[in-house]
Amino acid sequence: MSVETVNTDSLMPMTEIQIRQTRAFVDSLQSECQTYWDMVNVGDELSRDLHITPELVILYADAVEDYNPWYEGWRMNTWYVPGESPFGGAIVPPLLVSHFVLSVQFDHTKPFAIGSIHTFHESEILEPIPVGATVRISARAIDKFIKRERRYVRHEVLVTDVRNGTLYFREVRDILSR
Amino acid sequence: MQQTIQGRSVHGLINRDTPVGHVLVGVRKRAAIQLMGSRLWGRFNPNHWDPVYAAETGLPAPIQTGEMSSAYIAEMCVNHFGAAMFRNARVVCKYIASTHANEVITTHGRVSAKTPKGNGFRFTVEVWADNEQGEKKTVGTVEVDVGV
Repeated sequence: MSVETVNTDSLMPMTEIQIRQTRAFVDSLQSECQTYWDMVNVGDELSRDLHITPELVILYADAVEDYNPWYEGWRMNTWYVPGESPFGGAIVPPLLVSHFVLSVQFDHTKPFAIGSIHTFHESEILEPIPVGATVRISARAIDKFIKRERRYVRHEVLVTDVRNGTLYFREVRDILSR
Repeated sequence: MQQTIQGRSVHGLINRDTPVGHVLVGVRKRAAIQLMGSRLWGRFNPNHWDPVYAAETGLPAPIQTGEMSSAYIAEMCVNHFGAAMFRNARVVCKYIASTHANEVITTHGRVSAKTPKGNGFRFTVEVWADNEQGEKKTVGTVEVDVGV
């Protein structure tokens, strides 16, 4: 598809007002910002706490169309439920926390450099995470490298339970910067 | 431990006797633009949901975030390994090609090794996700303890 023939509503139906809103939103994203490569320095350490609510788990599971009932701490009509899984109550899908690492890899108070791409992850799922847990995601930039003329930033990540310190998840991941 | 909980197998479809070479039945999903544009993924990178922006950056269509195919692979592995997938498991994924909007993606797996561990084995599974033409998009390995 050439640029000339692509429209905002090429892949989903929209009215004129939806198209205007979408174009305005995309324009707003292209505000002044550094590239990911420039935003991150090797040795940078950042940490944030994430409360993994039942609704957040449903949002994730629906977005990847994974309807395993083990992940359900919220159901329509009954709303909050303890859920049931081999570990007792509802648990978090294996790679959910991996997605949220992105929000810890850079200073989220600065405009995000759009166009960066996640290219690799090596994840260790160490213990099941109960739905409702609050986890601390800690990321450390451990390398910046250029491969085939492309710029990559590598992070090392730990996910622990804020309340009891359980180490749930460990990961190394690469982002390709613009 | 119960055999099933809420209709899902606690132990999955693989057991300590499953041989090297065993092929996992995957999951299949369409790269639906509405899901690619979910606020879950942030919506701050229009390459994932806006065809105009994607075209301006040289892409034939918006591309899925890699986390989506990793999640599909994880779903396949939970089907096959059950509860074991949530403790001391390892997932390595490399995104080798972009998944474009409307492509149909299928995950695959093949047991490539079994290493004795405790009373069971640590299974290594070669995993990948491809489109309807068989073009690989994501490749990797998964390691899971079975019967340990």
